[in-house]
Amino acid sequence: MKYGPTVGEVLQAKGVSRRGFLKYCATTASLLALPPSMIPRIAAAIENARRPSVIWLSFQECTGCTESLTRSASPTVEGLIFDAISLDYHHTLQAAAGEQAEAARHAAMEENDGGYLVLVDGSIPTANAGYSTIAGISNVDMLMDTVKGAAAVVAIGSCAAFGGLPGADPNPTGAVGVQDLVKDKPVVNVPGCPPIPMVMTAVLAQFLTFGTIPDLDKHGRPLAFFGNTIHDRCYRRPFYEQGKFAETFDDEGAKAGWCLYKLGCKGPTTYNACATVKWNQGTSFPIESGHPCLGCSEPRFWDKGGFYQPLSTGHFGSGAKLGGAAVAGVALGVAAAAAGRRRQAKFTKEA
Amino acid sequence: MDLLEFARGPALQVAAYILVGGTLWRLIGIILLKEKPDFSEPRKSGGLPAALKVIWTRAFTADPFKKATLYPKMMAYVMHIGLFAVIFLFTPHIVFFEGWTGFDWPGLPNNVIYLLGVATVVSGIALLVRRLTSPVLKLISNFDDYFSWFVTMLPLVTGLLIPVRALFRYEDLLAIHILSVCLLLVWLPFGKLGHTFLVFITRGTTGMVFERRGAKT
Amino acid sequence: MTTVDGRHELDREAERLAYKPPEIRHDKQGDLDSEERINKAMYNFVKNFNTQTASYLDGCLHCGMCADACHFHVRTDDPRYTPIWKIELFKRTYKRQVGPFAFFYRLLGLKRHVTIKDLEEWQHLLYDSCTVCGRCSLVCPMGIDIAGLVSMARHGMFKAGLVPHELHETAKRAAETGSPLGITPEKFEERVEWMADEHEVDIPLNVEQADVLAVMSSIEIQKYPESIAATAKILNAAGESWTFRTDGFEATNFGMLSGNPEWQKEASMKLINTAIKIGAKTLVLPECGHAYMAMRWMGANMYGKPLPFKVLHISEYLADALNTGKIKVGKVDKSVAYHDPCQVSRRGGATQAARDVLKHLGVDHREMKNGGDYNWCCGGGGGVITIKRADKLRHRVFKLKMDQVEETEADELLSSCANCRQSFDDSQEHFSWDYKMGSLMEMVAENLEEGTA
Repeated sequence: MKYGPTVGEVLQAKGVSRRGFLKYCATTASLLALPPSMIPRIAAAIENARRPSVIWLSFQECTGCTESLTRSASPTVEGLIFDAISLDYHHTLQAAAGEQAEAARHAAMEENDGGYLVLVDGSIPTANAGYSTIAGISNVDMLMDTVKGAAAVVAIGSCAAFGGLPGADPNPTGAVGVQDLVKDKPVVNVPGCPPIPMVMTAVLAQFLTFGTIPDLDKHGRPLAFFGNTIHDRCYRRPFYEQGKFAETFDDEGAKAGWCLYKLGCKGPTTYNACATVKWNQGTSFPIESGHPCLGCSEPRFWDKGGFYQPLSTGHFGSGAKLGGAAVAGVALGVAAAAAGRRRQAKFTKEA
Repeated sequence: MDLLEFARGPALQVAAYILVGGTLWRLIGIILLKEKPDFSEPRKSGGLPAALKVIWTRAFTADPFKKATLYPKMMAYVMHIGLFAVIFLFTPHIVFFEGWTGFDWPGLPNNVIYLLGVATVVSGIALLVRRLTSPVLKLISNFDDYFSWFVTMLPLVTGLLIPVRALFRYEDLLAIHILSVCLLLVWLPFGKLGHTFLVFITRGTTGMVFERRGAKT
Repeated sequence: MTTVDGRHELDREAERLAYKPPEIRHDKQGDLDSEERINKAMYNFVKNFNTQTASYLDGCLHCGMCADACHFHVRTDDPRYTPIWKIELFKRTYKRQVGPFAFFYRLLGLKRHVTIKDLEEWQHLLYDSCTVCGRCSLVCPMGIDIAGLVSMARHGMFKAGLVPHELHETAKRAAETGSPLGITPEKFEERVEWMADEHEVDIPLNVEQADVLAVMSSIEIQKYPESIAATAKILNAAGESWTFRTDGFEATNFGMLSGNPEWQKEASMKLINTAIKIGAKTLVLPECGHAYMAMRWMGANMYGKPLPFKVLHISEYLADALNTGKIKVGKVDKSVAYHDPCQVSRRGGATQAARDVLKHLGVDHREMKNGGDYNWCCGGGGGVITIKRADKLRHRVFKLKMDQVEETEADELLSSCANCRQSFDDSQEHFSWDYKMGSLMEMVAENLEEGTA
């Protein structure tokens, strides 16, 4: 194992006060729905944690997940914690390139065999290996090779979790999520397009504190953050119940902050923490800013009807097909009436 | 494809095809049978106005029969009006119809709809109990009566489960609800729920024949 | 005194207290075997299906409201008397043979084929317990003309040879002799002469050409012959050019009542041909209910085209004549309850006519509660009064009528149908009731004022 300074030492060196650090641990405990008694344990765990080795693989991605995680106007504790992990491989952030970068990846894998975390963003193409390669290695090969000695794999963002935008119809690259390929390692999905930064770090904090992955829902998402729908936590919910809906983006209802259901909000079927944790350190989230939820943490959200098509719209298929059904019905009716009349004529003769 | 996508997509599509095809099949199969011409001298004019008149008036029971039929009639009113309100005045449903027809109209607050939905289910249960206990209804009822009751009540019950968030996750409840509606749509043309479109013919014909005679309708 | 229970008689001969077992008669005509009867029933059911009947048979909701309107069900609580149940075999046959899904009904056995037992059991339902009064048709929320369907269903029963004996025999006699009571043209002529004599009234008979053809019902000719005289008085006072004809005098139509459409047509055509022969402009039907239905609304369809003459029920003729001043009547200072014959008022649409007449008569007309178009049937129509085994049932339902009349506390009871009159007379005797049915026409005839021609 390659050891560096502990996370606590790093934080101290960066000037994070004890109080500030404990405050972060308290927030984390709260987010994870853990009792206050757990705060010291979280603190101790993070403080004394050896910076675990993290290998970050980027495949068919837009780098938005990385941007979300690393963007900060001023240094944040989350950001610093991120600095406190040993990020041994990351395309965007690493200094090395080419052969050196790949060598770093292999070294990290060997030295931390069985104990490193693999974080993945971007979907993996399966239709043709040539769609996305790194150092001449296909995404599939790199993924399967890298996870061999991993303790756990975290799929960051909807692309890595479910295939994301590349996986949208017609999915020319055969893009899939990590869970579709990695079957023998624990996989945690942290979807979102992008995911909320705090959700990401909380998952890491859980791993650091307990050495385990959190409880997951049926899509492999941590229940702590993906256990409720946006709809069930949305501050505009009373308007939904009262029947007050914005009809357009700039009508009186929209200006009054009414429910955005009719403008296509996917809140009711979307599981995420946006309505409670929000974005940019609790500044706002799409609905609060007046835009309906896209449902970006759900599998295949690009193909679930348009973003501005309300949830309760049906997908009826073509008018032509419906017309065909009508014609068929008429034909059957004519046939039935003809048969009835014929039978009637026959019976009338014998009556 | 998850259950919700299936319900909103292929299931609803096929249900729509069967609804349209089946309805036309039954309607045409009846309308194209022999016509019975009437050469008698009319007392009053019949025709379309007479048909429309009786289509409207037959929704109401004549005074002499009111007392005897009050209870089932009231239950049936609650059920039909409740169904109408729940289907057509609930905003997510209105949005559904808008996607289909392009028409939009104001709805009632959700809680009012939930209340009406409950009232409708209660009236439905009352009617079922009556069907199971009245000697007349026990004799004349058949599978069609009970199954039609079931496919009408199911969307109501599954719909009411959604705001209550009972038993399953929201998207699964929604999927089950939509599938129960698909079942209703598929059954509608074939059983007694076909009275949805047949009522115009039965009341209309009687209106035309009897108004023409100047007889009571 | 114990009240008479019209349903099951006490067996007064039995050693211990017991009821006489109810008589179950399955009358059969002809020597067809069961298979043939079933087929005949089916063919003749099917013959009747058209768009109108199809929509009715397809549209029933099994709501059971028709039961609450039917006097037979209301007075017995027997669910089998539910009107739509009476046509269940008719409905099943429709769905299996001619309905839009008939192929599947047969293929998957979704409805059973009619059996001989079914047909036997349904004889009672279709004949004994339905007067085709039409109250059920008025209450049905789908607007189904259930009464009309019963008439059609009888076609199947007739050809299958499953008609109650008395009704069949009566219809047969009518087909063979021209009158259900066997009144030959000679007998009719005799009665006409007798009435002309006794009442000192001119009664034209077998005139070659006349504007008005008057006809009678056998019930009147036989039981209430003064109707003949009354009719004559009225038509004479109105100054009509009219006549009775021995080649066409029978207004009743037992073919229609029993369910034989060929006999129905024959009876109707006899009158139609006679009317045409004499160049009549108007055919005046007597005080008979089903005669009005048979000629006014079904006659032209028997003929195959519009009739070349007007058809009026005598009450309509009277209303016309009184309203236009053709005849005048003196005032009658009495209170009157009027029983509307089902086929004339409710089913026939001539409800107002009798009221006009009563207004001219100046009586205190006490409308019955839920009377007029909704009043209870006398229980004897549709051929029921001919069926002896149905007497108990008919007397049982008559109670509704008695209550309805008694509530008016009127002095007199009038109607304009001889069959109703028969039914009332029979029940009046059975119950020792203090109301005796009178004839609207006779009251007019008795109070005609001179010099109105």
